[in-house]
Amino acid sequence: MLSAILEQTINGLMAGSVYVLVALGMVLIYGVMHVLNFAHGVLLMVGAYVCHFFFTRVTGSYVLSIALAIIVLCLLGIALERAVFRPLQGNLRNQVIASLGLILAIEHLVIAVWGPNALQMKVPATSALVAVGELRFPVQHLLVIGVTLVVVAILFVFLKTSKFGTAIRATSQDRQAAMVVGIPVERIDWITFGLGTALAALGGALIGPLFLVFPQMGDAPMVKGLAGILLGGMGSVPGAVIGGFIIGVAESLSTLFMPTDYRDSVAFAIMVLILLVWPRGLFGVRVRGED
Amino acid sequence: MASRIALVVVLLLLFAVPALAQQQPYLLHVLILCCLYAIPAVGLNLMLGYTGLVSLGHMAFAGIGAYTFAVLMVDAKMPFWLALVLGVLAAGAGGAAIGAVCLRFRTHFFMIVTLAFGLMLFSVMNNWDDVTRGAAGFPGIPRPAPLGGFSFGPLQNFYYLALGAALVAFAVQWRVARSGFGRVLMALRQDERLARAKGVNAMLYKTAVFALGSAIAGLGGVLHVSFLRVAAPATFSLAESINAVLIVIVGGAGSLAGPALGALVFVGLPEYLRVASEWRLVVFGVLLVLIMLFAPQGLSGLIESAWRRVRR
Repeated sequence: MLSAILEQTINGLMAGSVYVLVALGMVLIYGVMHVLNFAHGVLLMVGAYVCHFFFTRVTGSYVLSIALAIIVLCLLGIALERAVFRPLQGNLRNQVIASLGLILAIEHLVIAVWGPNALQMKVPATSALVAVGELRFPVQHLLVIGVTLVVVAILFVFLKTSKFGTAIRATSQDRQAAMVVGIPVERIDWITFGLGTALAALGGALIGPLFLVFPQMGDAPMVKGLAGILLGGMGSVPGAVIGGFIIGVAESLSTLFMPTDYRDSVAFAIMVLILLVWPRGLFGVRVRGED
Repeated sequence: MASRIALVVVLLLLFAVPALAQQQPYLLHVLILCCLYAIPAVGLNLMLGYTGLVSLGHMAFAGIGAYTFAVLMVDAKMPFWLALVLGVLAAGAGGAAIGAVCLRFRTHFFMIVTLAFGLMLFSVMNNWDDVTRGAAGFPGIPRPAPLGGFSFGPLQNFYYLALGAALVAFAVQWRVARSGFGRVLMALRQDERLARAKGVNAMLYKTAVFALGSAIAGLGGVLHVSFLRVAAPATFSLAESINAVLIVIVGGAGSLAGPALGALVFVGLPEYLRVASEWRLVVFGVLLVLIMLFAPQGLSGLIESAWRRVRR
């Protein structure tokens, strides 16, 4: 039993890492632009496909492919901010519906180009095993968790200490005041969007080798990342990290006493319950008077 | 006056289609699908278009109706019409109960919670093997029972059933839009705080429209599975809920004819334009973004402004 718990905890931390990467991107964009980009999961999926393309067709180096996927998706994110989200700024309904349009267009574009079937991505780290106590895990599991922790650490240092990070935080606290003190908020918008999609691309590139690369692979991470954000408290960056990990571990541990078919519903049920009974979450900083 | 004449002409044409196109079962098939997609869209239009409630789990409520209908007909051996009515009522009751939870939230949070409930309901349909028969679908749903000697087995007769149901849905929408109830809904969309200050019980009205919209979705779901003769979870997935939003927005949210136009464009056009199927949803996704950017009133908005320009 104990080793089963350990095994599911590590699995949960691994899944949670991806939720954290998605949640961080969404919460940064939400903070700055007050947009919930429901297409964020689709961008994770595109990141995985781009990584797969560079890995199998161009370089053969996994690390280099991840870097290229991040760059491509960052540019795509900036383009989407310019073309879709900026013109619709201030109209929540239209932004959300446009993001639904992006889900349809991008997901089916990928199906048209790469076909509906899952693609394999054979990375050495998925076959190499590492021992944790009596259990053995693919190195990739620990790699996903490790890379996520490093990225989170770098992001926190960036947000806390750099001038740019401070400007991002200021814009999400009060956009008007940020403009008054001379922060170029529109530049902050597109940079944050690019940063958010880059994090999604990293998430996709990291889980691609583990769970195959397929058109719907971003759907669950998007919804669960959202659940993590709500658990952590809407608008809180540290909350998104802790919330994402908790959701990952909770759903993974739930498989010990529930049929795995309902694993996904655990995350959604947690999400609705938190909103009902504990709307501020762990670090609730409800941005801009959502009641 | 002109619009009334147009409406009568369109209705006469729709009723004459089976006689005019006897050698074209394919046309009837497409028109039936248009009706089946337009009905849930009418329900969503009442919520999204008139009241401003963007639900991202609408088709899951159609699923409640469809599966209730399937279980009652196949397992409980109930007659078709009773099962249909109970299916619609179940969808409405589900909408009232879940809506009452969802409507405690606003803006982003409302959308997220409707999304979560849509996914949970889908998971139940997909996994509760004993009742819903799971991911493979619920097979063996009988065709509608004859009504007064009129059998709904042949395609053209099922067409009349689908068309009749669609007309009922549109009539309900028309009645609501003209009623005091509808005016309160539109007031809630425009300024909820002001409406509440005027003494409107916002929660009651919004729950009522959520229940009504879900019941109409249930009617569409029941007829959909009765047409396909199998209830499959994929008919009520998140992707289908997004398609429902697409139909309402493309047609024109908050317009009476919007859902019909949207369903014609979404289901009818691709069948005849022979767009390669994998590009169809790419085109519609881009179309949805473009409509939001440049014509948020949708097709009916475009037609109206064009009509106004012509008359000038």
